[in-house]
Amino acid sequence: MSGAALPLRAARALRLPPLGLVLAWAMVALVMAWAIAPGLFAWQSPLQGISGSQLAEPSAQHWLGTDGLGRDMYARVVYGARESLLGAFLAVTVGLTLGTLLGLIAGARGGLVDAAVMRLVDTLLAIPSLLLSLSVIILLGFGSINAAIAVGFVSVAHFARLSRTEVLRVRRAEYVEAAFGSGGRFLAVLWRHVLPNALTSVLALAALQFGSAILALATLGFLGYGAPPPTPEWGLLIAEGRDFLASAWWLTCAPGVVVVLVVLSAERISRSLGARRT
Amino acid sequence: MTRHLAQRIAQALLVLLAAFTVAFVLLQALPGDAVLIKFLGSEMGLTADQIAELRVAYGADAPIWEQYLHTLGNFLRGDFGYSIRSGVPVSQLLTENLPSTLRLSLLALAAACAVAVLLALLSQVEGFGWVRAVARSMPSFFVAVPVFWLGIMLIQVFSFQLGLVSVIAPEPWEELILPVFTLAVPISAPLAQVLIRNIDAVFGEPFVAVARAKGARHQWVLWRHVVRNAMPPTLTMAGVLFGELLGGAVVTETVFGLGGLGGMTQQAVANQDVAVLQAIVVLSATAFVTISLAVDLVMPLLDPRLSRAVSAV
Amino acid sequence: MSTTRRSLLAAPALLPALALSREASAQAAPVRGGTLIYLEQQTYTNLYPPAGGFYPNSGVLNQITDKLTYQNPRTLDIEPWIAESWTVNATATEYVFKLRPGVTFSDGTPVDAAAVAKNYDVFGLGDRTLRHPVSEVITNYERSEVVDPLTVRFLFKAPSPGFLQGTSVIGGGLVSLRTLALPFDQLGDATKIIGSGPFTVARQVLGRELVLNARPDYAWGPKNHPHQGRALLDSIRIIVTGEDSVRIGGLLAGQAHVIRQIQAYDEERVKSRGFQIFAPSTRGVNNSIAFRPDNPLVADIRVRRALLHATNAAEVVSTLFSANYPQATSVIASTAQGYVNLSGMLAFDPALSARLLDEAGWTLGASGVRAKDGQELVLTAYESPPQPRNKDTLQLVSQQWARVGVKLNVLAGDLGSRTVDSLDPAKTPVAPAMVGRADPDVIRSNYYPTTRNVLLQKGGVSQRVQNFRDDDLNALLEAIASETDPAKRLSLTGDVQRYILDKAYVIPLFEEPQVFAAAPRVRGFGFEAVGRPSFYGTWLAAR
Repeated sequence: MSGAALPLRAARALRLPPLGLVLAWAMVALVMAWAIAPGLFAWQSPLQGISGSQLAEPSAQHWLGTDGLGRDMYARVVYGARESLLGAFLAVTVGLTLGTLLGLIAGARGGLVDAAVMRLVDTLLAIPSLLLSLSVIILLGFGSINAAIAVGFVSVAHFARLSRTEVLRVRRAEYVEAAFGSGGRFLAVLWRHVLPNALTSVLALAALQFGSAILALATLGFLGYGAPPPTPEWGLLIAEGRDFLASAWWLTCAPGVVVVLVVLSAERISRSLGARRT
Repeated sequence: MTRHLAQRIAQALLVLLAAFTVAFVLLQALPGDAVLIKFLGSEMGLTADQIAELRVAYGADAPIWEQYLHTLGNFLRGDFGYSIRSGVPVSQLLTENLPSTLRLSLLALAAACAVAVLLALLSQVEGFGWVRAVARSMPSFFVAVPVFWLGIMLIQVFSFQLGLVSVIAPEPWEELILPVFTLAVPISAPLAQVLIRNIDAVFGEPFVAVARAKGARHQWVLWRHVVRNAMPPTLTMAGVLFGELLGGAVVTETVFGLGGLGGMTQQAVANQDVAVLQAIVVLSATAFVTISLAVDLVMPLLDPRLSRAVSAV
Repeated sequence: MSTTRRSLLAAPALLPALALSREASAQAAPVRGGTLIYLEQQTYTNLYPPAGGFYPNSGVLNQITDKLTYQNPRTLDIEPWIAESWTVNATATEYVFKLRPGVTFSDGTPVDAAAVAKNYDVFGLGDRTLRHPVSEVITNYERSEVVDPLTVRFLFKAPSPGFLQGTSVIGGGLVSLRTLALPFDQLGDATKIIGSGPFTVARQVLGRELVLNARPDYAWGPKNHPHQGRALLDSIRIIVTGEDSVRIGGLLAGQAHVIRQIQAYDEERVKSRGFQIFAPSTRGVNNSIAFRPDNPLVADIRVRRALLHATNAAEVVSTLFSANYPQATSVIASTAQGYVNLSGMLAFDPALSARLLDEAGWTLGASGVRAKDGQELVLTAYESPPQPRNKDTLQLVSQQWARVGVKLNVLAGDLGSRTVDSLDPAKTPVAPAMVGRADPDVIRSNYYPTTRNVLLQKGGVSQRVQNFRDDDLNALLEAIASETDPAKRLSLTGDVQRYILDKAYVIPLFEEPQVFAAAPRVRGFGFEAVGRPSFYGTWLAAR
């Protein structure tokens, strides 16, 4: 009965067009387009409010209503894509670059270097991540870029751990041992063989971290450590909108839904990247 | 084995010291300090001389290395110092705030595990395709919702609109319902994902196929072999997640106005109450290394296959 | 001199909303008992009485401490409380207070001349070893003398006409000698604050909750207070609830009785559901934007004047606030003592503003931001979270200034950076400011270099000020602090307002109230003179 049906079903599921994945890419493409050319999607200013029309309900003129200063919420969400995506992208880049570098060195060198790097990673993990990113923000000063660096810094440990495991796995593969054996220089082998093979799973993690970074940036905004006003950053929009929950619930819900959809999409794409590996 | 143990403990202590040092350096580097914040921000119109005197009295202007050694020495003796902000010994703040956060975190972790197991089991349900699909997509959804937003929404809907639970001055039994749920949602997501992935993987293993060939029923196979084999990696994951609970607690406690380490951390960051932050870092670092150590040492006992794998890595 | 000084100002009714409240129509006799749940926005920081300027601190202190005198919140007269009577000499350098007998602190020790003398010695001179700072409301204090167990005399180095009113403020709350013997640090712990007030601290969870219980033997409320004897409530639970949406939701859902700080946009909803809104004025310096003229960008009076006329305070009020936030017509509130209506100097006039900037040499470039010698006119201010909707206010002002070509960056900094940068005129050429106190002295303490020093003059706490100092202003301020003739004192206050606006040192925006909301069954909810809550006569009607 089920014993035979299960693999079959799995196979069928694989052959079907993964609708979720298509939607995920579509969502990411849309917000990317928002980020690149917000003016094509929103016609009103995200920064200049119209006095007298503050806290308007959603209407044909203001699709998502207006905020406390009379600024069009839809425009703020669209323009906010740039800040948020750029921030998340930067965060992932910081984490990916530093973390992968550390992991590569640790995994490839082994021995004392490995131990030292991994203890450093443990230390980063041992300090509560929120505390770490708050301190980094205070240190660097408030702003979207600095918040992104702070969030990225926290994910260094995760990338380092993963890339080290991957490197160890790949290293033991016969062809890599062969490459080392045939006198390949350490860095060259690392570059030619180890890195490309370790990269798929690291990229899958990167896609996942992209989603988490958006959430982490939103949380920082909520705690009052986000970008300075009037920057329309998604997390900040959710955070600022929550004060109006009693009288204008859509102000926090609209950006909230956008964030949920984007993070969901990033997660879905991450899974598809990870699946290709196995 | 003993040597391995000693080595691991030494490493753990090293990580603790490193965490203490990193935190100290980071906190010292922040602009301003607790004395300035407290006395300059307090609108009491102190003169420059008075402030300077206060700074000397608090030792705020001593050389950094002196402060470092002083603080380290005090910590080793178990003296966490005073919170400059509230004027209460840090140890008192910890004893007041730790239990509630611990209770919240443990309950949330337990709830998260329960939700994860439930989703994992639903993901294997026979027949109802849509149940499987929903169970498999829930974790992604859970992880995508900002925790603070979820908390605020839950309060609005369940407390203020439906009036099911009170959040302002709740009875002890209802105090933790919404916060635990809020905190459990994001924690349960990765657990459920790992569990589902592992169960799928174990279903593909030969010994399961053998069991099935022997005519074992699906449910029985699921319970007997699959869940048992999928559990250990999930437990490892739970250990790591515990560290993330503090971050979650900061947000949850802020939203729900609960007393605890989370709220205390947020206050301490805002006011650069270094003594408090230092203690929080040491506390959570201790929790982290202890859990990692325990997981490392206990795992091989739970799962013989893993001990081979561990020694191979 | 008479024992009570009558204010020259006929203060308008304290609470516009009070007339609407059910209290007026309710005939029922007050009910004793019950627990009131009060939601605070922030936690108290330190309960050393002079630290009572901070709203959350004063919300606690006002329930647990008594003051020598009582400032009637309606008339602003100084009336007897712990002091039954007093005399002041002609030069206001010597004050003698006769104390009410039989008053005790909640630890059983008497509130006698010795205790009162010690309290004021600490408030007036500070305590170096225990790190107690000097109270900002007491000036020129020299020493105290215990004349007899119920008579105390205070002596001043120079005239201190503001002292009598200073004995009525929350910062003059009397505490037990046991409390004063503790270092300043430990006074953040409410359980250590022993007062003689109608409530005592029962228990606290720091940062989360404070429970106050009524003192059964309390029998020394202010002489003219409508309620006498012990407090009507059995206890008050002060719960810190930082989230605006949770406070308002909790109130409307019946989970709390009184909340502090409700935002203007929620007022209508609250009223339409039959709940009460209270918006007592803080009667002090208006919510304003202050310049730091030490910064070269705003050193030129023409630039400051231009920005003053580029600011549309009416738009700020109509967009962000409600009728409870009257548009400012001077430096201080219209309910403050010595107020002069100077709205003519505050006109919104973008054309004049542009002309002044042109005259000052700041010309519009292609970028839309004015520049002079290659430097753009870009100013920076930190938002001040305790002030109502300050972030939105600054953003709106920033939009208004942008129309005349001036850029205002609004920073949301951490407390550390904000504290340090706010003292540096180079980093913060403008800053939001307000302070409440029902005495002309408030204007002095706001601008004088050695007190709040809002303009950041040289000689204050900041080491970063290069050379800005306005001795004409300081002379006027000193005169207020030492002028003993009440009429002259008030006219000096008017001079200061005119002077400050003439120099365009500040841009007043609105008169800041403290806005509270209460459940329909809350009765007798009162306020002291600057809008701090008093639960002494409060009671809960049957549902």
